[in-house]
Amino acid sequence: MVKTMARNLDGRELLALALVWSAATLVTATFCWLFGDILWHGLSHISWTFLTAPPRNAGREGGIGPILVSTALILGVCLSVSVPIGVGTAILLAEFTTDASLFGRLTRRSLDVLSGVPSIVFGLFGNAFFCKTLGLGFSILSGGLTLACMVLPILIRSTEEGFRAVPTGYRLSAAALGLSRTTTLVHLLFPAAVPGLLVGLVLGVGRAIAETAALIFTSGYVDRMPESLLDSGRALSIHIFDLSMNVPGGDPNAYASTLVLVVLLLAINGTASWLAERWLHQRIVTV
Amino acid sequence: MNQCSLSFMLKKYAAPVALSMAALMCVPPSAGAQGTVADQLTGKLVITGSSTLAPLIAEIGKRFESLYPRVRIDVQSGGSSRGVADARQGLADIGMVSRAMKDDERDLSAFPIARDGVCPILHQENPVQALTDEQVIAIYTGKVTNWKEVGGTDAPITVVNKADGRSTLEVFLHYFKLKNVDIKAQVVIGDNEQGVKTVAGNRNAIGYVSIGTAEYDATHGVPIKLLPIGGVSASTESVQKGIFPLSRPLHIVTKTPPVGLAKAFIEYAQSKAVHDLIRQQYFVPLAD
Repeated sequence: MVKTMARNLDGRELLALALVWSAATLVTATFCWLFGDILWHGLSHISWTFLTAPPRNAGREGGIGPILVSTALILGVCLSVSVPIGVGTAILLAEFTTDASLFGRLTRRSLDVLSGVPSIVFGLFGNAFFCKTLGLGFSILSGGLTLACMVLPILIRSTEEGFRAVPTGYRLSAAALGLSRTTTLVHLLFPAAVPGLLVGLVLGVGRAIAETAALIFTSGYVDRMPESLLDSGRALSIHIFDLSMNVPGGDPNAYASTLVLVVLLLAINGTASWLAERWLHQRIVTV
Repeated sequence: MNQCSLSFMLKKYAAPVALSMAALMCVPPSAGAQGTVADQLTGKLVITGSSTLAPLIAEIGKRFESLYPRVRIDVQSGGSSRGVADARQGLADIGMVSRAMKDDERDLSAFPIARDGVCPILHQENPVQALTDEQVIAIYTGKVTNWKEVGGTDAPITVVNKADGRSTLEVFLHYFKLKNVDIKAQVVIGDNEQGVKTVAGNRNAIGYVSIGTAEYDATHGVPIKLLPIGGVSASTESVQKGIFPLSRPLHIVTKTPPVGLAKAFIEYAQSKAVHDLIRQQYFVPLAD
C-alpha cells in the first residue's frame, strides 16, 4: 500500500502533502509556543497563597481568590440557566419539528445569527436588560444570565446535532415496542445525544470563561469576595485584561492568572471528554 | 372629626417614632467619637467611569472600607464618558473622569484628586530624541510619514492613536489643537498599557500615553522612551511641579453636591491619607 502511494505521488501531490503538514505543524507550534510562554512566565508566581489570597495594589500583588470564586459563580449561574433551556429547545427542534417547518427554520436561523453576534453586543444588551431594566445592577447574576444568552445558540445547535445523530432505527424500534414518546426520549434518545450536549457544553464553557467584553458591563470590576449573587464580581478574564492592559507592572500576575485560566479550560475539556467516553461505554454495556 | 384625625395620625406615626426612639436608646453610650462615626457610615457607593482611575479608586475604596466596615465601595470601569453619563443618570453615585471638566459638564460637582501627564513615546532604539510640537502635529496628520524627515532612520512611521472617548486622546488633541478626524493613525488602541506594548513591539511606532504608566515601564526594562514636550522632560516630577504642558487633572464627579457617605468618601479621597496610594498607582498627588 505504501509502495502504491509512493508511486502515485507526483509533484502536485507532494506539494499538497507538504502544505498540509506545514499547516498542521504551524498550528501545533503556535499552541506550544503560546502555552510555553504562559508556563515560563506564569508558573513561578503560582502558589496556594496566589490561588486563595485577595488581590492587593490593583492586582500587582496578592492573589486571585475572590476572582476565582466570582468566575465559578458566574459560570454556575450561566450553566444552570442555559443547560435546561438549551436541552429543551434542542429536543423541540430535533424531535418535534421537521427540517421544513417554518417554526423550526425560523428558530434555527435566529440561533445561527445569534451565535455570530460579537460578545460586546451581548454585553450591552445584558447591561441594558439585566442590569437596568430588571434592576439587578452590576452583579454576578447579571453576568451569568448574559453569558447564558451568549452560549445558548452553541449549546442548542450542538445538542440538536447530538439528537439528530441518533439513528432513526432507535425511534422506530421504540415505537414498535409500544414505548411512549417520553420514555423513548428519556431512556433512549437523551443518553445517546449526551456526547452532542457535552461538545456544546465544552464549547460554551470555553467561550464563557474566556469572555471579557460581555462581562465588563454586567458582572463588573469589583475584586472583593462576593457575598451573594447580587454582588458585583470580577471574572478571571477581566482581571487578566485589566492587569495586562491597564495596570503598569501587572504583567507577572497577568501571566499567572492566564496560566490558571488555561489550566481550568484544559481541565474542563478533559473532564467533559472523559465523561462522554464513560457515558457511551456505560450505555453500550447496559443496553 | 378632630379627634378622629388625631388618632389616625397617632396610629400612622406612633410606630416609626417608637422605633426611632428604640434605635436611639440602643446606641451604646460608651462608644467613642471615632466609633460612632464608623458605625454611622453604612451603605454602598457605586463608582463608574475612567479605566485609568478605576484601579486607584478601587484601592482608595478598599482602605475606606477597612476604616468603615459597614461601607461597600463598588468600582466599575468603562471610560470617562461613561463616568459622566452614569453620574448624570443616577446609575452611579460617583463618576470617574480622567480629564478637565468640559463647559457642558458644569451641572456636575467635580472634585480633583490627582494629576497625570500625557507624553509621546517612541521605541528605545529609535534615534529621534525630541520632536517639536509642529513635528508631532505633522506626524499625526499624515504630512510626515517617514522617520528620516524628522531626523531618524529611513523607515515608515506607525502612528498609534487612542480610541474615541479616551481622555488621553482629548488631552492630546486639546494641546496640539487637532481634531480626531484629521489624525491618520495606523493603530487605534484603548488603555495606556496597550499603548506601551504596541510601541515596545514596533521600532517605528509613535504613541502617547499616561506619563505615570510610561515612566514605570521605562524604568522596568520595557524598551520605550518618553519624549519631552516644549523642552520640558516628561516625568511625574515635572507634572508635580506643574511645568509639564500636557497634563490632566483626575476628577471624581457627582450629580448633586454630595452628602453623607459620598461626601465622606470624596473628602477621604482628597485627603493626604491616600497620597501613598496615588503614588503607588503612578499618578501625582495634588499640591498640599
